[in-house]
Amino acid sequence: METAVIIGLDALSFMLALLLVALGLIIIFGLMNVINMAHGEFFLLGAYTVVLVQNAGGGFWLGLMAAPIVLAAIGLALEELVVRHVYHRFIDTILATWGLSLAIKQAVIVVFGPTAQQVQNPLPSQVLILGAVYPSHRLFIMAVAIAVAAGTFLLFYRTRLGLAARGVIANRAMAASLGIDTRRMDRATFAFGAALAGLAGAVMAPLMSVDPQMGVGFLVPAFLSILVGGAGSLPGALLGTSVIAGSSTVVASIWTQVVAQIAVFSLAIVIIRMFPRGLAGGRR
Amino acid sequence: MTERRFRIAITLLVWAAFAMLPLVVAEWYLGRLAQLITYGIFAMSLAFVWGQVGLLCFGQAIFFGTGAYAMAVVTKGMVPGIPDASPIGLAAAIALPALIANLLGQFLFRGRGVSGAYFAIVTLSAAVVAERLASHWRFIGGFNGLLNVPPLRLGSGPEALELFEPLPTYYVMLAAAGAVYLGLLALERAPLGSVLRAVRDHEERTTYFGYDVAAYKRFAFTVSGGIAGLAGALFVTQFGFVSPALIGFSLSTEVLIWTALGGREVLLAAWLAAIVVRTVEGILSEALGHYWLLALGVLFVVSVVLLPRGLLGWLLRLPLPARLDR
Repeated sequence: METAVIIGLDALSFMLALLLVALGLIIIFGLMNVINMAHGEFFLLGAYTVVLVQNAGGGFWLGLMAAPIVLAAIGLALEELVVRHVYHRFIDTILATWGLSLAIKQAVIVVFGPTAQQVQNPLPSQVLILGAVYPSHRLFIMAVAIAVAAGTFLLFYRTRLGLAARGVIANRAMAASLGIDTRRMDRATFAFGAALAGLAGAVMAPLMSVDPQMGVGFLVPAFLSILVGGAGSLPGALLGTSVIAGSSTVVASIWTQVVAQIAVFSLAIVIIRMFPRGLAGGRR
Repeated sequence: MTERRFRIAITLLVWAAFAMLPLVVAEWYLGRLAQLITYGIFAMSLAFVWGQVGLLCFGQAIFFGTGAYAMAVVTKGMVPGIPDASPIGLAAAIALPALIANLLGQFLFRGRGVSGAYFAIVTLSAAVVAERLASHWRFIGGFNGLLNVPPLRLGSGPEALELFEPLPTYYVMLAAAGAVYLGLLALERAPLGSVLRAVRDHEERTTYFGYDVAAYKRFAFTVSGGIAGLAGALFVTQFGFVSPALIGFSLSTEVLIWTALGGREVLLAAWLAAIVVRTVEGILSEALGHYWLLALGVLFVVSVVLLPRGLLGWLLRLPLPARLDR
């Protein structure tokens, strides 16, 4: 019973963490049709923002608030400098953002060194849930993920801005001719997506070893999640992340982390092949 | 001199320069260059499948690594019943990756299939899976890989000729690169190559012209996989050591960078870029340390944004085949 609760909580916590990363990806992909390979590094920069703030004596919470702001600024700058030049060359967006990811990772190594950094756990206590002991910071991460996901859904489905954004996703040219400034929308989207990644990195920093490779580990499962769920749809992200996170946590608890990764990635490839529009999009 | 002749002359000049290189380069460095030439062959395999057919493969090292492992396993005599001869190793190192590419292609391209960015992400994930498998499979050495892979041997028995000296090794590798180049070039310039480029430029239209697009893609992917496997095998006979690093994600992205920097549509540009980038890396990474990779990343971004056809592609591009040049 206890193990089952812990596995369930682990799966849920991994899923929500993945959702936090995938949300930014899916918004950028849906709205701008850009595969952002640098998303893992935005995540990484979020975590390092916390390290930086903490080393300056600011503490975790200040770092957590600073990370999305810093990343929004970085996203805005990179969109202006690089991404906007390759919009109309779809495959090249993958390459350009991949180059960015390399450069960012290397810049982090130059500044902070290749070794792992420590972030203090602001909530070191444990909580008793359904007979199982669980770290409170994990619960905090889950709460943040739920709040951010709910906020994003509200923004997209209940506001005028969200309506305009969904208009751009559905038909960019039509949206533009109805007077929506798609250029501004792109800028805002990329900055928002980067900010989400930064927030995800910051909130998860205390639980992870903050090193320059931490972004890649999240990038691939996040991409697989949005493709499995159905690229370009927010409900699909929920579905995709639950499939990926659920199956990998369960397999990892039975065998090992490595088996889980191999099995889940292979499963995802098969699903993507069978359901090119994602599980939410139905088979064609 | 017409432009046509000029372009052919430049390509010939590059090959001639490489043939003459042993006259000016120190012998110890020739051994290093011979290794880089095999990386160049690897880059050509990607340039073919990406530049001509438009399949952006983020997992090309799967085939390179499989070739390297196959060569190592066979020539170390680890497979009972199969003699540890180099030609058998080479055959396995070409056939096995080609088979994997074919099966993967069978699976991914049939029907509507997986294309574009989806293909990139699927192959990327496949590379991660391959690396994990290799580093946990004890028969092929797991995380530590296989040591003491013997060099290429010509002939058999105790009087076999081992390819150990830098100078002959260099020429053998250069000859292999030349053969691969000519073979792929012939494919590209044949009518078949036109179909491949049609698939790249407009898949749907090509389908309606009556071509079996999936079959063409699979064919090109298989060829590319086999050549990447050959490159891996040749590499490992010189390097003497095969590890999961040769099969995974990071080598896959490295070859992508070489190919993109050189020029994805021009085989020779990709080949040359692999050699040049690796050579410069050898020189600069000592002087610049971590800044070297930073510079490479920035250079890559700049070239993708400003020069999508690569830095060398415009120079080394050959004229159109005579049948198209009217």
